[in-house]
Amino acid sequence: MAIKRYENVDVNTLTFGTDAYGEYTTTITKKFTTRPLVSDVKNSLAITERYRIYQDLIQFTMNYTPWLKDIVDNQNLYSITWRGKDWRITDCLESNDRMSVTLMCYRSDPITKV
Amino acid sequence: MADTLGQVPYAATRNPFNYEKVEQIARDLTTNWLTLDEITNQLNLFGDESQDAYLNGLELAVRMHIEDYLGMSIFPTSYRVYYNVSSLYASPVCLDLPEVSYKDNFNSGGIVINKVAYYNGNTPSLLVSLTANDYYYDVTGNKVILPNGTPSNISMNRTSPLVIEYTVNPNFLQAYPVIKQAGLLLLTHLYNNRSETTLTKLQAIPYGVDALLRPYKPLVM
Repeated sequence: MAIKRYENVDVNTLTFGTDAYGEYTTTITKKFTTRPLVSDVKNSLAITERYRIYQDLIQFTMNYTPWLKDIVDNQNLYSITWRGKDWRITDCLESNDRMSVTLMCYRSDPITKV
Repeated sequence: MADTLGQVPYAATRNPFNYEKVEQIARDLTTNWLTLDEITNQLNLFGDESQDAYLNGLELAVRMHIEDYLGMSIFPTSYRVYYNVSSLYASPVCLDLPEVSYKDNFNSGGIVINKVAYYNGNTPSLLVSLTANDYYYDVTGNKVILPNGTPSNISMNRTSPLVIEYTVNPNFLQAYPVIKQAGLLLLTHLYNNRSETTLTKLQAIPYGVDALLRPYKPLVM
């Protein structure tokens, strides 16, 4: 059972662009610090034919505020920094009373050869 | 011992409730008491500033409730008090104030007297303010003393011709951590429960708002 507790995280905005060489770039800019309830940390390992892929999944439960509403509506434009790592949002669950939002975030470790 | 007119010496100083009516004429409804930092830390919002205006409004409601609970303002509040003349012929005249402010400043007390005035006997009778030399505030008895007695041309037709306006100073209780904690608890409750009704029965925690504030409620007898 995962331990639920409040931890400080940074919420970042993501800006996508293209550099001079035509490569896609992602700029991460901190928007604010907050303190969600961190729970259900899951590490999973998927082994494909040639690679091991570590996929970490986590839930951040935050108070429902105007900024959180914007994150729900534009999940692809935000990331979360937790324990120094960058987490991307994969699902948002708004509570029915609109008092909290649970963000399910994932982080894929670099692909390692089997 | 009574004098030849049947008056007990110093009796004028001993009626603790000689005002006729009191009304609140101003209250600080804009100054925030709990800081946004304290509030956002309490609510685990930290740097999320998107609700600051809402939180400020909630904070004012919390402060008002705590002032109402304590029965005294912790931020400036002004009152107007009326006195009739039926029992005010002694000299000096003592005008008791319905206030229980703490004496955080021993010279001036917990309040500021803004105006002492009376309606004169002219027709129509006009409100005349007394100069600062004609009265002083007695910090030990929560009252205003007119050393020269009742003004001679005071209206005999008005029900309550003597008027005092005063403002209660910010109270040092506002800085007490225990009072602030009560405020934060109440604010969290109001933040989390925005509806009059719930589907489940809520339970109060032990040592909550009530327990924290109760020792600071002045006894008024």
